[in-house]
Amino acid sequence: MKIVSWFLAAVITLSLAFSVSANPKRIGYIVNYGTHEWYQNVIFGLQSRADELGIELEVMDANLDINKQTQQAEDFMTKGVDVLMMTPVNEEGVVPILRKAKADGTPVVLEGNPAKGMTTLFAICDYDAGFKAGDAVGRILVSRGESEARVMDVGLPLLSATVLRSLGFMEALAQHVNAVKVHELDGSGMIDSSVEVASAALAADSNINVIYGINDGSALGGLQAWRAAGLPEDDLVVAGTGSEGLAFLNEMTKEGTPYLVEAAMFPEGVGYTGMNLAVDLFNGVDVPEHKVTPTLALTVHNFAKYYDFDKAGQKRAINFENVANIPTETKCTKYASDL
Amino acid sequence: MSKFFQKNETILFLILLLLLVFLSFYNPQFYSIQNINSILRSSSTVMIVAFGMTILLTSGEVDLSVGALLSFVTVIVMDVINISGSLFLGFFSVFIFCFLIGLINGLVRTVLNVNSLIGTLAMMLILQGSVYIYSMAAIYNTHLIPAFTFIGQGFVYNVPMPVIIMLVILPIFVFLLNYTRYGRYFTAIGSNPFSSNLSGINNNRYKLIGFIITSLLVGIAGIILASLMDTGQQGSAKGFELIVIAAVLLGGTSFKGGSGTILGTILGILILKVIDNGIILMSIPQEFQLVVPGVILILAVYFDTLRKEKNG
Repeated sequence: MKIVSWFLAAVITLSLAFSVSANPKRIGYIVNYGTHEWYQNVIFGLQSRADELGIELEVMDANLDINKQTQQAEDFMTKGVDVLMMTPVNEEGVVPILRKAKADGTPVVLEGNPAKGMTTLFAICDYDAGFKAGDAVGRILVSRGESEARVMDVGLPLLSATVLRSLGFMEALAQHVNAVKVHELDGSGMIDSSVEVASAALAADSNINVIYGINDGSALGGLQAWRAAGLPEDDLVVAGTGSEGLAFLNEMTKEGTPYLVEAAMFPEGVGYTGMNLAVDLFNGVDVPEHKVTPTLALTVHNFAKYYDFDKAGQKRAINFENVANIPTETKCTKYASDL
Repeated sequence: MSKFFQKNETILFLILLLLLVFLSFYNPQFYSIQNINSILRSSSTVMIVAFGMTILLTSGEVDLSVGALLSFVTVIVMDVINISGSLFLGFFSVFIFCFLIGLINGLVRTVLNVNSLIGTLAMMLILQGSVYIYSMAAIYNTHLIPAFTFIGQGFVYNVPMPVIIMLVILPIFVFLLNYTRYGRYFTAIGSNPFSSNLSGINNNRYKLIGFIITSLLVGIAGIILASLMDTGQQGSAKGFELIVIAAVLLGGTSFKGGSGTILGTILGILILKVIDNGIILMSIPQEFQLVVPGVILILAVYFDTLRKEKNG
């Protein structure tokens, strides 16, 4: 009887040991542009979750060089990482890496941009993020008794992701008021370029009441151009996108600022979600092709729920739990293929 | 009369005039005070740096690190003022830093004898990388000193402050290049370094001064840019060095040294900036803002070569 009990105990222990999924030991992440604030915060999110799960995370920066990214992917595979994570420098360039990883048996998780042959991707929905900001701005205009939105869109027309943000913003705005895009600009996603192009556009026609930026630098560049032109800020609403770093928090918390809405994409949350996805993939869990990460329209009234902002110390701390509780789309309303 | 029309500045002035007439017909808003201020404000930082670049190119040297330095300056000035709460300390740090960079550029050229195209390209890479060692994140204005904001965004009698700063610096360089022997030394060094050396001019000393002056001017432009952006931003001012060099060459300064005028440089910058402005007013894809200086750079160097060949 005693032998039978020992045997049963051993069987139960072994079956439990095999049924409880193990975490990967080492994960390699190749970021496409590591010096950008957005990616620094994505890495922070990845690292935070990796630390919680006891995973060793190694990060390499391709610095927008696809050849370098290919080499780094091969290095990671040679080192024998359990999962390879990548933000593709370009969608076509990573296809050979995906092929090689498949042959090598290394699971791959992509961030941001999809690529042919990928298994899974974690990324925000650009259209929906822009839509949420447009919806929030539309409500503000209606509450002010305005019936028309005359928009200066400080965009980036070369990238489908940023075009989707602008499109979502305008379509949501049009649900509340008559929305007219007065200026469609290319600010290159940089604050200095945005100031320059917005200054020229405002000189041509400053009869606008909404500035939309496809990222924080673009929105702030548009706003700085407005200020440099000496225009009144009373009726203006500025909306940015990304919650990339401290920029929007600094501006949004200023007294009397027109920067009222941020289409937050929570890069730390993106990283956190990505690490969970990598663990699931490693454990053979059925993962979605596109894991949508949370986005939300942040205002001065609700940002504290998601970010603890220390203005004096110029630091922000994300509340991962509250971000994780934001309802997310199962799939994006519009993709680049819809443009 | 024919000599008048052969003069480089006259041709540039006529080109500028043509552009102004065309754009004002296309969009009457072109002549609004706001648009003129916008063009002048965005020209000011380029002009300030271009004054130094004119001297450098005239002496036969070039500085490719001005864009990277400009970006670094925005970070330093914002950070130091945030920490110290003192405009003086912020500006002082910027000028010390720029002086050192100019000195290093100059010493690399004159002591190590490294071609300035290569030496300053290396400095550009060093600055582009080290700004991220200094700070990974952009530095935001937390000091909120109104006087700082006024530098880039303020007006005096409807004239933007950056334009006033440029106008203060302008006569110094016109005087230096045209009415002092030092200005003539720069031209002589660029024109024929051997004979200038034989005539007792210390070529290396003047080249060193040229690099330092250019870097210090970048310091001024960087303070204006930081104020305008209200941020110290790594990666800003991308391609700035090419716009400055293209404008200076378009203005008639020879890439091989020996000739150059501040008036030509000003006209060159205005032409480029009016074209930039026209691209936005006419809703032409803005990628042309990069294409235009590139094409102008080639044409300017080509015409400079033709001019030199014609002059024997």
